[in-house]
Amino acid sequence: MTTLLDVTSVTIDYINGDDVTHAVRDVSFSLEKGEFVGLVGESGSGKSTLGFAIAGLSKPPAHVTGGQVLLDGVDIASLSPEQLREQRHGGVAMVLQSGMNALNPVRTIRNHFRDIFEAHGHIEKDRWDARAAELVQKVKLPATVLDRYPGELSGGMRQRISIALALSLEPKLMVFDEPTTALDVLVQHAVMDTIIELQQSEGFTALLISHDLGVVLESAQRVLVMHDGEIVEDAPAQSILNSPQDDYTRMLLSHYADPRADVVELPGFEDRGKRAGKPRAEGAVHPPSVHGRERRSDQKPIVVENLTKVYPPPRRGEAEVVAVDHVSFTLDPGESLALVGASGSGKSTIAKLITAVEKPTSGSIRFGDLDVGSLRRGQFRRLHSEVQMVFQDPYAALNPLHTVEYTLTRPVVNFTKLRGRDARRRVLELLETVGLTPVEEFAAKLPHQLSGGQRQRVVIARALASDPQVIIADEPVSMLDVSLRAGVLALLEDLREQWGVSMLYITHDLLSARIVTDNIMVLNQGRVVERGDTADVLRNPQDDYTVQLLDSVPNPRRSRVA
Amino acid sequence: MTSVTAAPRGVDADPEVDEKTEAPPSRSGNPWGYILRKIGLFLLTLWAAVTVNFILPRLMPGTPADAALARLAQNGPVSEATKAAIEAQLGVPTGNLFEQYIQYLGQVVTLNFGVSYTFYPQTVSELVSTALPYTLVLVGLVTIIAFILGTLLGVLAAWKRGTWLDTLPTVGGAFMSAFPYFWTALLLLFFAGYVWRLFPTSGAYGPTATPAFTWDFFVDALYHAILPAVTILITSLGGWILGMRNTMIPTLGDDYVAFAEANGLKPRTVALRYAARNAILPNLTSFGLALGGVVGGSILVEQVFGYPGVGYLLFNAVTNQDYPLMQALFLMITLSVLVANFIVDILYGVLDPRTRR
Repeated sequence: MTTLLDVTSVTIDYINGDDVTHAVRDVSFSLEKGEFVGLVGESGSGKSTLGFAIAGLSKPPAHVTGGQVLLDGVDIASLSPEQLREQRHGGVAMVLQSGMNALNPVRTIRNHFRDIFEAHGHIEKDRWDARAAELVQKVKLPATVLDRYPGELSGGMRQRISIALALSLEPKLMVFDEPTTALDVLVQHAVMDTIIELQQSEGFTALLISHDLGVVLESAQRVLVMHDGEIVEDAPAQSILNSPQDDYTRMLLSHYADPRADVVELPGFEDRGKRAGKPRAEGAVHPPSVHGRERRSDQKPIVVENLTKVYPPPRRGEAEVVAVDHVSFTLDPGESLALVGASGSGKSTIAKLITAVEKPTSGSIRFGDLDVGSLRRGQFRRLHSEVQMVFQDPYAALNPLHTVEYTLTRPVVNFTKLRGRDARRRVLELLETVGLTPVEEFAAKLPHQLSGGQRQRVVIARALASDPQVIIADEPVSMLDVSLRAGVLALLEDLREQWGVSMLYITHDLLSARIVTDNIMVLNQGRVVERGDTADVLRNPQDDYTVQLLDSVPNPRRSRVA
Repeated sequence: MTSVTAAPRGVDADPEVDEKTEAPPSRSGNPWGYILRKIGLFLLTLWAAVTVNFILPRLMPGTPADAALARLAQNGPVSEATKAAIEAQLGVPTGNLFEQYIQYLGQVVTLNFGVSYTFYPQTVSELVSTALPYTLVLVGLVTIIAFILGTLLGVLAAWKRGTWLDTLPTVGGAFMSAFPYFWTALLLLFFAGYVWRLFPTSGAYGPTATPAFTWDFFVDALYHAILPAVTILITSLGGWILGMRNTMIPTLGDDYVAFAEANGLKPRTVALRYAARNAILPNLTSFGLALGGVVGGSILVEQVFGYPGVGYLLFNAVTNQDYPLMQALFLMITLSVLVANFIVDILYGVLDPRTRR
């Protein structure tokens, strides 16, 4: 084998005036021709910064301040901008993280291909259309997509197109930066399969950058683990899995488990079956307020019967969308129920219906004596003091202009009689409940000063402000790093066990569903296809769709490459 | 109205799972549906505007004849003969409101707006059709030139961000557009027109020229148009530069621009076909507003430069309570806003496939 890429002592700094952050520190590694290598790290580890530097795409404020990147023996830093541009044909191609937004919304797919052929002149003009058709077929799309605009294609199709575009450059090295992160689980799986097949048939060298060790171990032959700007481990996939050397690698691995297994344990979580009613941990959370405790006595279930939601056609001349189709279930006090399905299965719509953000087309949602479906504007307060939402994206769920204290004071004042000093005491109590200590310090912070996990805790604290009986958590950990997920899940679990809050846990992630819920409902296109005890359903799935979902869970212990 | 329909949010139901079966049918293939819808909307708003233009004056108490008689009565008693003469001259409404409305619609369609009080015995249609070309050519053309020039400079400024090509147009544009319009106009008039005597100080053509489609008249008219045109250009250019630069800079950070660079497209292609092509879309709305304001917003220009366009006419009509002229001009102003919006709607349809649904 010959070396294609040689990275020696590369250091990359983010320079903002006098403020210098070392994103990548003294990193060295090399890629052999035809290898499939994974680069794994959590957010902020510098993996994408490194990927951009390898592709010669570093942009201020990122500066390569040391070391060199040799591609086929040529130092890419020595190339002029024009030479760098020209070497993109037959050199390094990159597929971006948000490949679904990587296409120009006002140009057809065909024109995207033409722009590339025109820029590099490596295809005869009369072969342009034929070559473009050939390339989209390689990514398993029909040639008819060439005349579409990006907005007319689904996210998975757009990501396939951007892979085809990168492929049209006939690259020696393809850098995939989180190529499937923004896609739906099932689509994610299919796109990864295509990438693996292409790498084998086209013979390019691939560097797969991902936060998901499972995805990387399934596809790569060799894995680089990155942490805090350094590569902490560089080993074949098998040895990473079987004998990880670095503590950080071991920690990442410990957060993976097969949701189908008989016993499923994550750090901080004993298997639910073994616990058998025993709390996860003693006294982990602050006790609920007096007001909250008083109301525990008259907890009510949420009863959903024949719930249906039909949306008008998204575009002229199309059929209307049945998002939720005759769904019935009961969420008892203190129960935790998982609602799982791929995107488009209607699980988030159910959350919107229960919180009265949307009105059902037919069917009923009853919460005690409240008929949620018929509530009018101005009558929501009673519902919202009992049913609260935790959102998926903690980065978008907090107003960036307000401090944590302000954010939490609003619901305290709105839903309780506490004012002034009492309200402040309650806010600090909430922060302590969600484990953001020292509380005084966190109260004064603005959202951008917090990490993703801390933000999600603020969002949970906000949901708790009214002492709700029910929390609806819509993918609460999907945007968080693996190492932070367990903490947030543990918090939700403790709240349920110690406060008696019932939880509707909406997710596509079957592993987390197995960890924090007793019962599960699998939704496919608005219909419940399977329901029952979470462990039973996942261990012994009856419906094909449930099996598909289970198969799409990245599993380090199952390699897809021969 | 200019409407930018955002791409509908996936109602939690993208058919992602069976994505590989078939490409969805193209929704942007046939543009005629979109154009027909926009024409329909245009006609509907036009009818509404014409109707409001009919109703508003009728909400005022009395008739124009009553108002004229009241003014005369301040100077002494008005004889029956005078009263009859004024009523004959100004007209007294006959028939009920619906009959009047039908009559009015007929007159609008035949462009018969009656006779002007101020410029008696010229008809309103004559007056407007003489004044309109001057305004349309001067203000309209300059607005279009300012938009194109400013947008190009804005693209350049954003692309060469941080260099003098950015600083000069950005700071210069902001500086110039901060001057009040009339002040720039007076300054130019004083120096270029009065002190240095480079350009005429008023009028659309010289005292000896007669309006006709001849080369001599064209040159003369152009010569007279330069000062007002330059003034408009100076004061409006900065806004277009800043507007385009500020939408272009975030666009340059968009993923499709980064991906285009990663694919090694030529810098020119990336700047124009990828970044500028998308960044211009939000600016079309302000362009539509500016175009729509051409007819109604020209009062100040034409007043300062004594330019015989629509603004000049409107000013005279209002100061002399010339109702027929006013009503026709208001209709013109509304119509120009509607037409400008229609043009921008069609432009959107051409430039942005997402609006064609």
